[in-house]
Amino acid sequence: MVERLKYLRFLTWCGPVFLAVFIVFWGILGHTIPPVPADLPAKDIGDMFRAEANGIRIGMGMAMMFAVFYLLWGLALAKIVEIGIEKDNNVLSTLAVWGAGLTVVPLMCSCVFWLAGAYRPEVLDDTILQLLYDMGWLMIDMCFWVTSVQMIALGMAFIQDPRREPLIPKWMAWYGIWVGVSFVAELLMPYFKGGIFARQGTLNFWIEFFVWFFWIVGLTTYMVSALRRLEAEARGATSTERAQAGEGVGKVAGATL
Amino acid sequence: MRPSDPTAGHADLDTSPVTGQRRLAGDEGVWSFITADLCLFAVLFLLFMTERYKAPALFETSRQALDPLLGALNTLILLTSSWLVALAVHRAREGQRAAVRRHLTLAMLVGAGFALTKVYEYWHKIDAGITLLTNDFFMFYFALTGLHFLHYVGGMAVLALCLAKTRAEHQDARYLTWLESGGCYWHMVDLLWLVLFPMIYLLRAP
Repeated sequence: MVERLKYLRFLTWCGPVFLAVFIVFWGILGHTIPPVPADLPAKDIGDMFRAEANGIRIGMGMAMMFAVFYLLWGLALAKIVEIGIEKDNNVLSTLAVWGAGLTVVPLMCSCVFWLAGAYRPEVLDDTILQLLYDMGWLMIDMCFWVTSVQMIALGMAFIQDPRREPLIPKWMAWYGIWVGVSFVAELLMPYFKGGIFARQGTLNFWIEFFVWFFWIVGLTTYMVSALRRLEAEARGATSTERAQAGEGVGKVAGATL
Repeated sequence: MRPSDPTAGHADLDTSPVTGQRRLAGDEGVWSFITADLCLFAVLFLLFMTERYKAPALFETSRQALDPLLGALNTLILLTSSWLVALAVHRAREGQRAAVRRHLTLAMLVGAGFALTKVYEYWHKIDAGITLLTNDFFMFYFALTGLHFLHYVGGMAVLALCLAKTRAEHQDARYLTWLESGGCYWHMVDLLWLVLFPMIYLLRAP
């Protein structure tokens, strides 16, 4: 079992790395935290692309490179579920890893739209640049359900942990389910250019994104201790197996004598 | 296929029945879901009141387009349904399975009235050309009641699951935890409506 836990510590730390890169490069350099308001005139968005083209190129390029770290982190989570909780049925861990992998797709695709805007903004019309910026946000916000699948599958698995002290606390399991379900508010995003449901709105950006960020940080903290416990369980199981094997050899030897 | 003992292979497992005194009804983890949900709605209520403060005349004239009788009817429906679920939990603690089934079925039947009223109300508004894009008041009206409606649909599904478990499973501590957790969620749906109804339908401009 110890062998099955190999690499998972490294994969666990990919989550915080992804988040840090995402905030700094995608968010700050890429001008998505806070999002450029949807009700801003096309000219302002065009001017932003022209003035900040290099920042957006660096930001989105780095964000695309590190987006896959979310999959690596998601794989560690799925493995913890598979090895520590599921035993013979791996449906939930499979869903979790697919959810993590598919989350990377809209993240990367939206970066491509913003990168396309920053590629040659000096020759593109303001409305085209506005369209590209809108497409990036629509892609990232409206594909929420793939991440919800990961969060709900993980939550359901953590709830079923039969340990007296679960590997991941139940509050975190239910919090993840809640975040996954609450993403449904993003369905309202395409209807609004201002207000709380717009892409820059209190609910659909500041709350939805930051509860997801908190989930990543909180879960990583518990993953570290969960891995430590799984390793201890694995070492305990190995030494018990060895002791039983030794006892068995002794009995056989005794019987022969 | 799972082994016959689902807890086999784990180091420190809780295999004892949950018979001790619980501080909270239902599963403790469910309360974190409920707390997070209530916090989210609290923020939404705060945002509604902030926007209402900025445009009291618009919110007041829009509010008058709503039918408070339908809102009151839905309040009555949810309170009755919640009461029936509470009775079902009490009967479950006493081990009266038939009564639990009866109360849960009644709770769902009464609860179904909420969906009928809400669909009628939405249809009536949309038919009159009022949508969530009409103005800020109706944006909040459709969004808040719509999000609440999704919670209601989830709650009805949870009640259906509880009813199925009542039919299928023997009554033990785990089943009771299920039922209590479902009941707590249903009460939350009720509680949210108890704030939504006066805030949207009844609150007059100062």
